Amino acid sequence: MLKRLTNRTLIYVPLSLFVLLSLYPLIWLLFYSFKTNEEIFSTNVFGIPKQWHFENYQNAFSAFDLLNYFKNSLVVSVGTVVFTVILSLMFSYAAARMKWRLANGAKIYMTIGMFIPMQIILIPLLILERTFHLQNSYLAVIVPYVAFQLSFATIIFFAFFRTLPYEIEESASIDGASVYTTFFKIMVPLVKPAIASVSIFVFLYAWNEFLVALVMISDNALKTLPLGLLYFQTQFTSDWGAMGAVMVISTIPTVLIYLLFSEQVENALTVSSAVKG
Amino acid sequence: MTSRQKYNLALLVFTVPTLLFFTVIVIVPIIQTFQKSFFDWDGLTPATFIGMDNYKRLLTDDDFWVSLKNGLIFAFVLVVYQMGLGTILAIALSNKSIRGRKFFKTSYFIPVVLSGVVVSQLWISIYNADGGLLNSIFSALGLDYQQAWLSGEHTSIWAIAFTNAWQNMGVQLVLIYTAIKSIPEHLYEAAKIDGAPFWKTHWKITIPLLGETYKFCLIIAITGGLNAFQNMFVMTNGGPGNISYTLTFMMYKAAFRSGEYGYGSAASAILVIECLLFTILINKLVAREKISY
Repeated sequence: MLKRLTNRTLIYVPLSLFVLLSLYPLIWLLFYSFKTNEEIFSTNVFGIPKQWHFENYQNAFSAFDLLNYFKNSLVVSVGTVVFTVILSLMFSYAAARMKWRLANGAKIYMTIGMFIPMQIILIPLLILERTFHLQNSYLAVIVPYVAFQLSFATIIFFAFFRTLPYEIEESASIDGASVYTTFFKIMVPLVKPAIASVSIFVFLYAWNEFLVALVMISDNALKTLPLGLLYFQTQFTSDWGAMGAVMVISTIPTVLIYLLFSEQVENALTVSSAVKG
Repeated sequence: MTSRQKYNLALLVFTVPTLLFFTVIVIVPIIQTFQKSFFDWDGLTPATFIGMDNYKRLLTDDDFWVSLKNGLIFAFVLVVYQMGLGTILAIALSNKSIRGRKFFKTSYFIPVVLSGVVVSQLWISIYNADGGLLNSIFSALGLDYQQAWLSGEHTSIWAIAFTNAWQNMGVQLVLIYTAIKSIPEHLYEAAKIDGAPFWKTHWKITIPLLGETYKFCLIIAITGGLNAFQNMFVMTNGGPGNISYTLTFMMYKAAFRSGEYGYGSAASAILVIECLLFTILINKLVAREKISY
């Protein structure tokens, strides 16, 4: 009995300590978004704010076009998800289910993006976007985001399409359905769980991406949240409370999405890991 | 049109847009980066071929060696922290008698979904030399470790790397946890009958079976470390001096601040080669045999 009890403590204590390590910095951030500079750095570093300074949030909204950054991030993320899903879904279907000689080679080709660090294409990409006048439009970031997420999405969809029985297409073609009808009416509804996983994953990626946005977008009106945060940091260095408020607000959507769809996020992660290496 | 022709047309409709798009936006630029690394080029006027000069210049550039070293330190911190801790926590969580497993797993994963900029900014205030959280904890404990973490010559890159390790540990944890769950129960029965202690059982049975997963984890941790950019860009801007430079930072600075596109291309070509070398090495050395149950 005693041994069982100590065994239990031996597991729960470290597990809880690491929960603290993961979450306390975030809770600390939440607290400091309601504090004054003095409280954050000297009088009340660790605890709950003595007085809740909601005006930090007001200051954040008035000093800073938060809603616009929010809108930009939303447009970019949704756009990236839509194009990534459509392109990779069609391609993976052809690679996984249709009969052609280069199917396997084409699939391997499409997964190269998983192995290449994205920054390597930045310089030529900037030139390309300059040439086509894509710079300073939403497409300036949507195009590279989609291109680089295609590899990941293809891997997930391919794996899903492969698990479906081949009788589906056979009976569909006996019924006289065209390839398009089979794809849109029968196959796409069957891989809805995969579409959900990919969409959430790609959305989180596009919402948080920084380097490409930094290089491609200089127009303040088009900046996404991560760029906006950086701008805020350089403009309002002394107002830590308002800075905290901006960080909290920009974090809420992704945390909510994760809490609602944690299963899908984790599934997508595991399926894609089977390919690398 | 015959049905065969219709089928082939559909095949083209399904594959060509994706293949073309991917080729133009990803593959062609990769080739161009390698090609342009042999040129002196400002991105506007025509480039001049200079052979290996960019690479020779890299070898004599102090920034390059600092970047190379920092990339390796970054990768080392990610591997040790994320895989070490990920393994321990995943094994502890895989114990079916633990309550609240979902809660624990979710808590460890939450930092992963945050924006890297937010996390970097958060840790700037944690590392703040005057009354930041970390120094405050040390002084509350009566310890004398307070220092300027981000500007110290010996602490800067480690502090920055830890930020990234802290944020993304959940990824490795989930991967290792899922792999452990797929190990069949019966493999543990003999150990149970012998009454082998908990950690010994896992050391002898679980960890050797995780080879494939570790391979993937190593690749993402090491390439993630070598590619680091965002954290130092936000936290220290590469400084003070060049002490928190990485290859991506060098590429960014050369190309987008000084307009030396050829030199920047050479830095990113080295980065890709470095990542590929590590990926090949890991594939050669780790878990060469596939395990099937």
